[in-house]
Amino acid sequence: MGRRRALSTPALAGSLVRLLTERFGSDLRDLGTDEDTVEFTIDGARNIEVLTALRDDPDLDFFMLADEAAVDYGLDAHFEVVYHLFSWKHPAWLRVRARVDRSDPRIETITHLWEGASFHEREMYDMMGIVFTGNRDLRRIYMSPDYRSFPQRRDFVLPDDAADSPAAGVNPLERPETWDLSRFGDGSR
Amino acid sequence: MAVDRPTSDASAPIIIGDQARADELLSPFGMEEHPQGGFHGLLEVIPTKADYVLDLIRANSLWPLLSGLSCCAIEMMSTATSVNDIDRFGMFPFRASPRQADVLIVAGTLTTKMAGPLVRLWEQMPEPKWCVAMGTCTTSGGRFKRSYSVVQGVDRVMPVDVYVPGCPPRPEGLIYGMMKLHELVKQRRGEWRTYVDRGPQRTHWEGDVR
Amino acid sequence: MTKLDPETRIPDPIELDAIEEARLRAAAGLAPIRSSTPEYAGFDQVGIPDRPPQTEREREVYSLEEGEMLINMGPQHPSTHGVMRLVVKVRGEIVVDIDPVLGYLHRGIEKLCENATYTTVLTYVDPMDYLATMHNEHAPAIAFEKLYGIRPPKRAEYIRALVVELERVSSHGLMMGFLALDMGGLTPILYAFINRDEIVDMQSAISGQRMLFNFFRVGGVNFDTNDEFLSRLGTWRGHVLKNIEMNERMITDNEIFRARTINMGTLSGADAISLGVTGPNLRASGVPFDVRKAHPYSIYHELEFDVITQQSGDSYARYLQRIAEIKQSIHLIDQIMDKMPHGPVQAQVPGIIRPKPGRAYAAIESPRGLYSVYSISDGGPNPYRFRMRDPSFISLQAMPKLMPGRLVADTMAIMASLDPVMGGVDK
Ligand code: SF4
Repeated sequence: MGRRRALSTPALAGSLVRLLTERFGSDLRDLGTDEDTVEFTIDGARNIEVLTALRDDPDLDFFMLADEAAVDYGLDAHFEVVYHLFSWKHPAWLRVRARVDRSDPRIETITHLWEGASFHEREMYDMMGIVFTGNRDLRRIYMSPDYRSFPQRRDFVLPDDAADSPAAGVNPLERPETWDLSRFGDGSR
Repeated sequence: MAVDRPTSDASAPIIIGDQARADELLSPFGMEEHPQGGFHGLLEVIPTKADYVLDLIRANSLWPLLSGLSCCAIEMMSTATSVNDIDRFGMFPFRASPRQADVLIVAGTLTTKMAGPLVRLWEQMPEPKWCVAMGTCTTSGGRFKRSYSVVQGVDRVMPVDVYVPGCPPRPEGLIYGMMKLHELVKQRRGEWRTYVDRGPQRTHWEGDVR
Repeated sequence: MTKLDPETRIPDPIELDAIEEARLRAAAGLAPIRSSTPEYAGFDQVGIPDRPPQTEREREVYSLEEGEMLINMGPQHPSTHGVMRLVVKVRGEIVVDIDPVLGYLHRGIEKLCENATYTTVLTYVDPMDYLATMHNEHAPAIAFEKLYGIRPPKRAEYIRALVVELERVSSHGLMMGFLALDMGGLTPILYAFINRDEIVDMQSAISGQRMLFNFFRVGGVNFDTNDEFLSRLGTWRGHVLKNIEMNERMITDNEIFRARTINMGTLSGADAISLGVTGPNLRASGVPFDVRKAHPYSIYHELEFDVITQQSGDSYARYLQRIAEIKQSIHLIDQIMDKMPHGPVQAQVPGIIRPKPGRAYAAIESPRGLYSVYSISDGGPNPYRFRMRDPSFISLQAMPKLMPGRLVADTMAIMASLDPVMGGVDK
């Protein structure tokens, strides 16, 4: 059986965990490791501070934003914005999970730290409806601007699963009453 | 090898050897065979409809529109390149402008956002025109049938003449589909109905470009 | 980064219901929006969208100064590499700004994956980046194996590495062709497709499909190598370097090609990192980041290779980087064939798997950069959340950085050098 790698030898992962606890202390919740990832949870309001420190601290030096994603934990729970970071100094991916309130889904943008976060944030806004305050370009990116739903949320059920889901009426091709056929008159030329 | 033809006004027919047979074939048109070769008589042309001839020509040089939507487009390109070489069937010049194209090969998934522009392209193509749906995505929605943003078959927005299923169809499959289109064009020649005659089409819906 | 002033800020569309929108339009002296416009309602005559700008950036792009105009490229354009729209703001022939409009190929793959079982997910991800299908399956396979807690057998790992490196050769080869095509050279693409067809034949011999292979399984691969595959591989290996060099000779020293790529679209290493550009485009800017080295997955820690970089970061460097990587991949294929062990190719895994609740992140180096999957399991038969980060989606953000000051005709040449694939961009 091929092991992918002697991933994050305990000493090294341990040093990252120790550094993180030193730097962020009380901010960290649920600090954990798996085979090649170190992860922790923070409060959504503190994301800029933590990410700036992670990027600029010479010991941590997480200079690259590998991924930024949103997760919906259900109607009675919260959203989560997940950042995956990379650093040469540590042999593990760092996953920072920031909680966002579901009733008021707002979080600070990180486009001033990594410009490349802009498209990620536009996608999350389009798919999940999370508003990134300060993002200069928060438009829908995939769906058209007059689209009114957030397809990646958990309460958006695919049309053939539930007739009364928000998605049931989403495919306008299924609704002939919205078609505009006036320009064809009675069909004669 | 030169045929030794009689120079005198010999009455023996030259091309159709049997006089009775020649009369039978030619006399309904008021024509007879000239002793020195060729035919002469009332009619020197074969009567037909211009549409018949034009469509015969069209069938053998269909120009597709250079428009690919997604993965199937790669196989469509592969059909056009040297290994499969659709040029053999008079189809090479993939035209970049819809005004110069005869066939729209819809190669790839059609999304609701792209449906408007695609119908617009289709309307810009001059009559007569044909549409080939390439891939299961365009025939029925295929693997994305359940999705919230995919048109479940391109025949919901425009008329389709030939469906080529497959995900993606092999280049041979597309060539076979195009041969079928040739047959269809020839069969229907002189009788094609215009796009407008085929019934009303939608051109705009929510989710269109803004 | 300037914050929007709350007074002048146009509300987010999330709170912009119809009444608010009507009020805004009335205040701005615009006609009320028609909910269903019979005609194609894209732009008015000067190219401004038929609605108030939603964001600061949109207002910046779509407000014209004296002498400027907007040109719309796409969504159907012969060289946009798929269905994508670029709104180009020009002054005369010079590009001032550029706004990529995406989503014409958005197929909702993530949502479909969240409604599919783990095995079926591997079929849904195929059409993402359709020039690198094997890579698309690789990352989810690794992520699900982490979730489920199994390892594929060693031989399966080697076969995986073999097919993904083959795919990389074919993808980079096509990029060379497309780049030349966008500068008006038709010949290289014909040769590129000849080379690709050989690889496609190999892949269809091993997987049974030509493009969307569905070859990877959770815990292994679908088939072992067979005679046809191996004999085709041997034949191909015999002449591939010669073919690549022939293609290269056609392009590399071509006067026109050099004039249109050298010092065009220069991206500095720091900018590239900030913009999230990865893969060959990043390495062409001099940053030696390659997931195969930085976070070795599969068997890459057993293979010997160096991370190749270029210095200048322009279109030409990105092209040279691709050629160097093709040769590197061939070198890797040789090593893989040498070291390939015997054994099974598939671990014992049930058809429907229910991993324990947990999270897994898997990143691989696809021909376009860092392709990663973040998957969450809640113990059920389908992923609770399935997220894909596609490199070409992020690379496109560099366009507004690279284009200003260039000629309109260079738009496509520079975009082709970034090598985006719309299936991946739009998911
Ligand atoms: S039919 Fe298959 S190959 Fe063709 S566009 Fe759809 S998913 Fe892609």
